[in-house]
Amino acid sequence: MARFVTLRLLRAALTIALVVTFAFIVLRMSGDPAQIILGPEADPEAIRAFRKSWGLDAPLWQQYFQYFGAIAQGELGRSMRDGRAAIELVAERIPATLALTLPALFLKLAIGIPAGIFAALNRGRFADRAIMLLSVAGFTVPSFVLGLVLVLVFAVQLGWLPSGGQDSWRHAILPILTLGIGGAAVLARFTRSAMLEVLGQPYIRTASAKGVPWRLVVTGHALPNAAIPTVTIVGFMVGSLIAGAVVVESVFSWPGVGRLLVVAVSNRDLAVVQCILLLVAATMVASNLIVDFLYGFLDPRLRHAGGKAGV
Amino acid sequence: MTDRALDNAPARPGHLAALKAIPPLVWVAILWLAAVLFVAIFADLVAPYSYTAPNLRNRLVAPGHALHWLGTDELGRDVLSRLIVSIRISLLIAFGATVISACFGTALGFLAAYFRGLVEQAVLMLADFQASMPFLILALAVLAFFGSSLVLLVGLMGLFGWERYARIARGLAISAGAQGYASAVTQLGAPPTQVYLRHILPNIASTLIVSMTLVFPEVILLESGLSFLGLGVQPPMTSLGNMVGFGREYITRAPWIMLAPASVIVLTTLSVSLLGDWLRDRLDPTLQ
Repeated sequence: MARFVTLRLLRAALTIALVVTFAFIVLRMSGDPAQIILGPEADPEAIRAFRKSWGLDAPLWQQYFQYFGAIAQGELGRSMRDGRAAIELVAERIPATLALTLPALFLKLAIGIPAGIFAALNRGRFADRAIMLLSVAGFTVPSFVLGLVLVLVFAVQLGWLPSGGQDSWRHAILPILTLGIGGAAVLARFTRSAMLEVLGQPYIRTASAKGVPWRLVVTGHALPNAAIPTVTIVGFMVGSLIAGAVVVESVFSWPGVGRLLVVAVSNRDLAVVQCILLLVAATMVASNLIVDFLYGFLDPRLRHAGGKAGV
Repeated sequence: MTDRALDNAPARPGHLAALKAIPPLVWVAILWLAAVLFVAIFADLVAPYSYTAPNLRNRLVAPGHALHWLGTDELGRDVLSRLIVSIRISLLIAFGATVISACFGTALGFLAAYFRGLVEQAVLMLADFQASMPFLILALAVLAFFGSSLVLLVGLMGLFGWERYARIARGLAISAGAQGYASAVTQLGAPPTQVYLRHILPNIASTLIVSMTLVFPEVILLESGLSFLGLGVQPPMTSLGNMVGFGREYITRAPWIMLAPASVIVLTTLSVSLLGDWLRDRLDPTLQ
């Protein structure tokens, strides 16, 4: 068990280190931020001063280690645009993003999991086919198309709901629906195939043959086993609570982390982009860790195999 | 495997039976994909106008016009012509990216299966990293900081989904290595590249092709999402997501600018998904 936990923690730390390296390479080596911030006609003296104050004049490897050290101390740099701490700018936007993604997550779980279970239990019947067709349609429609179609119907044609902005709770309805529908479709599909796989196992047949009522076979044997793959995808959804709304926030002009990222990226505001990248990585890694430990809890076989699932 | 069964079957009736077994919905998907492919290949011949030619007298013309079947945009450019060129660009990016990512992923998976040990751990770690980060965020960082070009875009999209091929190829190659045929050719003296490329690859190809059909629609969605945000294909070049992004500003006055490319995206990804699902049920031996 200790080995399982250490391995997982090591892997998590390694993933974070990889993200930091990735961020550093991409963001530092793609151009000269001083030139971009100050403009092409800037005074060379001003550019030199800017580089010095941002540590851009040191050799790259030194910048790299400084960067690692700074992050270890929680210093994530300041926005090059207005000089405020990047983490502050990002933290400000988190509640707005969560106001969309948390209700959307709830919607996904409430629709996706029951729909998937229901489809699997009625395999091949009309209900199964209808749910699966809806599910395929749900995740092949890109979120910006779904969002714009909802705007076209409910804002432009019917005039019931606002098309964008963040002035009241009514502004949140369309973005939440957009996020929720797509996610529910994905989840329904995963749950269905997880259930089908479990329902084909010999122990299910044995349980039914022993005379256990079907309802108990499903709740007692099938659902707990099907929970394992489903937990993975739910973990991914929890991990993308912060990053998962980039496109939808842009469609609805919602001032969340995603909007901030798109704007920061087009302004080349390095500190803010790095900060968001790290924040996303941290939430992803944290939710993956939770999922891994949940696995160990749900499936003792994984715990005893040293944390390594078979091929 | 199914291919071989078909080849051995008595010529005509077997093929007919196989064709009849295709459900109607999958037929519709195949027909749509064939049409889209045709339009993409012969875009220059099919498009009625140049996709950049403005016509300031006929701005924001509604669909159904005698000269502009799908209407025109804010500069009077023919929406149908732009749509046709967009289909070509979007499909080109998606095809290129899918092929790159399948080759890259399979190669890494084979390397992991052959060397095991440290190499395998490194590949699995990279795969974990790739799978645990939302690709859109990584792509956004790279594209915006390097500026967007068609080559970079294809290369970047080519990194999408490689970890799935790598995992599949590694798992299947390891289990194939334990089967008779692989160890037989190894003991006959075949070099590893021959064992992997000539013997193992054909045996796991059906599973890999199914994964390609499942990744392909996601690549289309990803490219159109990036282009929608203004960070993918850059004007004057046009792609499906790009058209939706610019058409969005005219959603109240001229919704057709946005609806035409949006429906092509949806129908195409839907068709590939339906076809992929059906193929998976038919071909994937791991499911039977």
